[in-house]
Amino acid sequence: MRLATIKGHVTATIKHRSMEGWRLLIAMPESPDLAPQIVLDPLGAAIGQKVMISSDGAEARQIVGDERSPARWTVLGIIDPERDLAL
Amino acid sequence: MRMGTVVGRVTLSVRTGSYVGERLLLTLPWKKDTYSGEQKFDPAIVVYDQLGAAVGQQITISEGREAACPFEKPTPVDAYCAALVDEFFYQE
Repeated sequence: MRLATIKGHVTATIKHRSMEGWRLLIAMPESPDLAPQIVLDPLGAAIGQKVMISSDGAEARQIVGDERSPARWTVLGIIDPERDLAL
Repeated sequence: MRMGTVVGRVTLSVRTGSYVGERLLLTLPWKKDTYSGEQKFDPAIVVYDQLGAAVGQQITISEGREAACPFEKPTPVDAYCAALVDEFFYQE
C-alpha cells in the first residue's frame, strides 16, 4: 500500500468491459520509485486529496465484480488531512 | 496501471502455443514528467492489445499478474492494454 496524491482523471470510452462505469484517477505516489498510476476509485476521491492506494489485484477484481478484470490499483482510503502527521 | 503512448506494432513469425491472433503494441510508459507535457518516457514495453489501439494513441497498461487475468486459458502476458484514453485531466 502506498500513499499518493490525486492529480487528475482519465476518460476512456473503449476499455475492458469490467471497468465500465468506474472512475479512473491519476495518482502520484509519494515515493519516487513508483510511476504515476491510473487507479480505480470506488470511494470518490477528489483532485488534490491524499489517498492510500493498493496494488492488490484480487481486491480490484472483487470491487468490479469480474474475475477476468485486468484492474490492479485501487483507492483503499482517503487520508484525513487533520490527522496526517506527514503534512 | 500506467499510462502509455503507442509507438509501434510487434509481429511474431513464431509464437508461443497460447497466442492466437495476438495484437502486440510497442508502447512508451509515462513518467511523472510526461504528464506535465515533457517528452520523457520509461523504456518501451510490449503490450498485449484486444481493444484495437492505433499508433500514436494513449492507452492504460495493466501490468503484473493482472495483465493475464482477461484470458480464459493461462497465457503468458505481463502487460495488457486495459483502456484507450480519450482524454485526461491533470493538475500539478
